[in-house]
Amino acid sequence: MKKEIKYLLFKDLIKGLSITLKNFFKTPVTVQYPKEKVKLYPSFRGRHALVRDPLTGDAKCVACLKCQQVCPSRCIDINYTTDLETGARKLISYKIEALRCIYCGYCEEVCPVGAIVLTEWFEYSSRNKEALIFDKEALLKNWDEFIHSYPEKVYTNKYWNLKGIPESNKSALKREGIYVKIKD
Amino acid sequence: MLEKRLSSNKYIYYPQDPFYSPLEIQMGPQHPSTHGVLKLKLLLEGEKIIDLEPTIGFLHRGIEKLAENLNYAQVLPLTDRLDYISAMNNNTGYALAVERLLGIEPPPRGKYLRTLVCELARISSHLLWLATHALDIGAMTVFLYCFREREEILNFFEKICGARLTVSYPRIGGVRLDIEDQVLEEIYNFIPKMHEKIEEYEGLLSENRIWLDRTVGVGVISGEEALAYGLTGPSLRGSGIAYDVRKHFPYDAYSEVDFEVPIGKNGDTYDRYWCRLQEMRQSLKIIKQCIENLPEGPVSSELSPDLDMPLYKRAITAESWGESAFISFLTESAPIVPKGELYSAVEGAKGELGFYIVSDGSGRPYRLHIRSPSFIHISALKKLSHNHLIADLVAIIGTLDIVMGECDR
Repeated sequence: MKKEIKYLLFKDLIKGLSITLKNFFKTPVTVQYPKEKVKLYPSFRGRHALVRDPLTGDAKCVACLKCQQVCPSRCIDINYTTDLETGARKLISYKIEALRCIYCGYCEEVCPVGAIVLTEWFEYSSRNKEALIFDKEALLKNWDEFIHSYPEKVYTNKYWNLKGIPESNKSALKREGIYVKIKD
Repeated sequence: MLEKRLSSNKYIYYPQDPFYSPLEIQMGPQHPSTHGVLKLKLLLEGEKIIDLEPTIGFLHRGIEKLAENLNYAQVLPLTDRLDYISAMNNNTGYALAVERLLGIEPPPRGKYLRTLVCELARISSHLLWLATHALDIGAMTVFLYCFREREEILNFFEKICGARLTVSYPRIGGVRLDIEDQVLEEIYNFIPKMHEKIEEYEGLLSENRIWLDRTVGVGVISGEEALAYGLTGPSLRGSGIAYDVRKHFPYDAYSEVDFEVPIGKNGDTYDRYWCRLQEMRQSLKIIKQCIENLPEGPVSSELSPDLDMPLYKRAITAESWGESAFISFLTESAPIVPKGELYSAVEGAKGELGFYIVSDGSGRPYRLHIRSPSFIHISALKKLSHNHLIADLVAIIGTLDIVMGECDR
């Protein structure tokens, strides 16, 4: 009986409409994208960059090839030479195909010196395919563009210094923590 | 009156035309309500479906074959792309299978964090399901409300690990990095808010006469038939069978938290809807317990394999430098992973998500098979939609919660 009365009095519809009416007076949650931008949280996995070492002015990369080896989509290509006297490796070219990258963040996690980073930058779509194949110069330029508007003095990334991982699983440099000083 | 109206099946009456012949119609693959690239060949008698044949494979990316060329750690980001709506569950399922193969166990904090993010992903998946299901049936408002809350959950994921959909957060032997206290607090404050929102969706739909007309008595499947078709997850529980991997074969921290498994009675679209809404409440309950009882300590096991795990273990001594080191790399002297095969399942958002791994002792899986619930649920479409109208087919596809990324792999 009760159900029939409810049905005839449109109680179900009135209940629904009252909910929509309540929401009608709330502030909208929509972000008007090109005009206003969403806030990105630290360590968002966005555009790739090679960190410019403030001491030498060049990339920090030591050409250990770990990122090339660990990349699941095989989008990193590195060339290097070895100094026969000292045995040190020198980077010749470093190429990332951003179109093949799956943004898993394994490269920045495995890097022993914190040379590669996925920056908090997501607006880099292009109609030109070549513009999305980053060579060493483009990657360093990405870093400069990103760090130019970075508010703080020291940059660090969550994936360089993984929190909560047992100490025995970290390399020597990572136990101390990897940071980049931008400004004095 | 309501019961009488609902019980009378109004879809049975059709004019008997002597010149009648069934009509064949292709639905999809580019159709807004097939939820992805699913193609259906329908045989119609008037507007009534008498036969149905699904065609799949439009989103095939060969993940199982790709996995054979990558090491165990590298396969994990690929599993994000299976059921891209609840990537945390896929990661956990795969990581759990490899952990069982390797014989390692994550530390308690890692277990609890994995449970927490899995339940968040389940809520996000159910929200997306409710949104699209309601939109298919004609309730536009619920779609907008659900996406509003889903956005908050995706923001939590971004704060935790830096990605919103393809998270790669759980890893073999625990989770990738620790969660910040501030984020935990935000998630804790989100729980009562989410309870209110679920009540809001229920207020819009549960008693609504249009919603009842479109869902009650549509796509009925009995418990035995559902078992015979291999349905799992909420699709099975709607038919009254309380099978849940989290309860029956507990993994991670599910044995330590208290929750119930909601079951339906009639096995129709409405009961499956009801089950999923209750499941969201239970997930919130699990999240609350996880945050309250979160133990301290490391989040990842010390034995968890490196990302660049080698194919075979090699012992490099002073003598073995040079050519002999290269030879020892090629010979399979010490297997890095035990030989054998293993099946391990988790309760994904859609149903039982299983990973079957065959190991030949090297650092790569010899064969990886994924038992994806969506693939198996599609086989039940014919049974569910028999003698229904085309308009109801949309509701039936929605109620099974199919994701084509998982189905085609």
